[in-house]
Amino acid sequence: MEMLSVLNPFNSLPLASLEVGHHFYWQLGNLKLHGQVFLTSWFVIGILVVASLAATRNIQRIPNGIQNFMEYALEFIRDLAKNQIGEKEYRPWVPFIGTLFLFIFVSNWSGALIPWRLIKLPEGELAAPTNDINTTVALALLTSLAYFYAGFSKKGLRYFTKYIEPTPILLPIAILEDFTKPLSLSFRLFGNILADELVVAVLVLLVPLFVPLPVMALGLFTSAIQALVFATLAAAYIHEALEGHGEAEHGEHMP
Amino acid sequence: MGTLLLLATEASAVHSELAESGAEGGFGLNIDILETNIINIAILVGVLFYFGRKVISNILNERRLKIEVEIKDAEQRAKEAAAALSDAQQKLTQSQAEAQKIRQTAEENAQAAKEAILARSVQDIQRLKETAVQDLNTETERAIASLRQQVVAMALKKVESQLQSGVDNAAQQQLIERSIALLGGNS
Repeated sequence: MEMLSVLNPFNSLPLASLEVGHHFYWQLGNLKLHGQVFLTSWFVIGILVVASLAATRNIQRIPNGIQNFMEYALEFIRDLAKNQIGEKEYRPWVPFIGTLFLFIFVSNWSGALIPWRLIKLPEGELAAPTNDINTTVALALLTSLAYFYAGFSKKGLRYFTKYIEPTPILLPIAILEDFTKPLSLSFRLFGNILADELVVAVLVLLVPLFVPLPVMALGLFTSAIQALVFATLAAAYIHEALEGHGEAEHGEHMP
Repeated sequence: MGTLLLLATEASAVHSELAESGAEGGFGLNIDILETNIINIAILVGVLFYFGRKVISNILNERRLKIEVEIKDAEQRAKEAAAALSDAQQKLTQSQAEAQKIRQTAEENAQAAKEAILARSVQDIQRLKETAVQDLNTETERAIASLRQQVVAMALKKVESQLQSGVDNAAQQQLIERSIALLGGNS
């Protein structure tokens, strides 16, 4: 409380203020939804859908314009999935990994490039959807589900042998891994994006013009990297679940 | 528990307050240029467009060119393959026709050869028959001749032996004289 009272004079000054932890709540039954995240998510989803539709509406044999661009993006995603999961299994996972990458990438860049603050909400403010921990946790949990599904669909109940495979001593760590993976995924993305936007916001608050530009450019770079990292890690986890200790098993059976 | 309830009620109170204030504040435009950071964002977007456009358009053009070349190549190859296929098919039909022709001529030849052989064999048989008949004839003639000779020889021998044994001097004399008389009688 004392801290707050210390901070109060600052707030009362006619300076721009930072809003962290304020949300534009929607009440849905017993649930309180962060409305601003939904709005920007819908916006991002809209961009992606419109781009996809525009790219596939008039498909040419020799790709032109947006079709060419989206094909280039698809090629990039496919190569990413292929590099991580391997030539044999990558094909069914391209949509999932591609969706993750595109959604996170467009979310991050929309947060950095679109002047969301022009639109005033009753409470809270619009920002990148990945700025909210709920979004990143949802994405990370989806990744967890995806790799569990990959493992079970590939090996059935034998998937559990990977927990005790080199040695049962590592069982606790193997179990812990399943919790740390979504945790690290979600916090990495959330932390990076939120930190980036906060740094920019603070700099804008202090020096409104030109000084935040390098940081914003850096933010663009890091947010692109974060999207890439998230997609790559998701693909790597799926690959791990598909492979497990298969090679080691083969090695043991060989002699 | 009590505090929790208190907290809950407080939260709901705060929430209803927030909702009210939201209804009051509503959506709106924030036109504070500095606060919205719009200048920086505009500069950033401009720079991104200016530099990114070139890079992206370069990449995309290259990609497009590559695809175009590849498609052209593939089409060319498809055309060539189709040409080769039609060529080969033509050759196939040609060679089939040729095979048909060869077979026909071979059959004709075979037929002709068969007929020729048949004719020749008929001729041969004829000739053989003729020669056989001739041989038979000459053989019989020869046999008859030899038989005749033998018979003549045997007859002569018998006559000689009869002459030597059965004819004495007187008879000889008589005979000779009869012969001479015959000779004289004739002249």
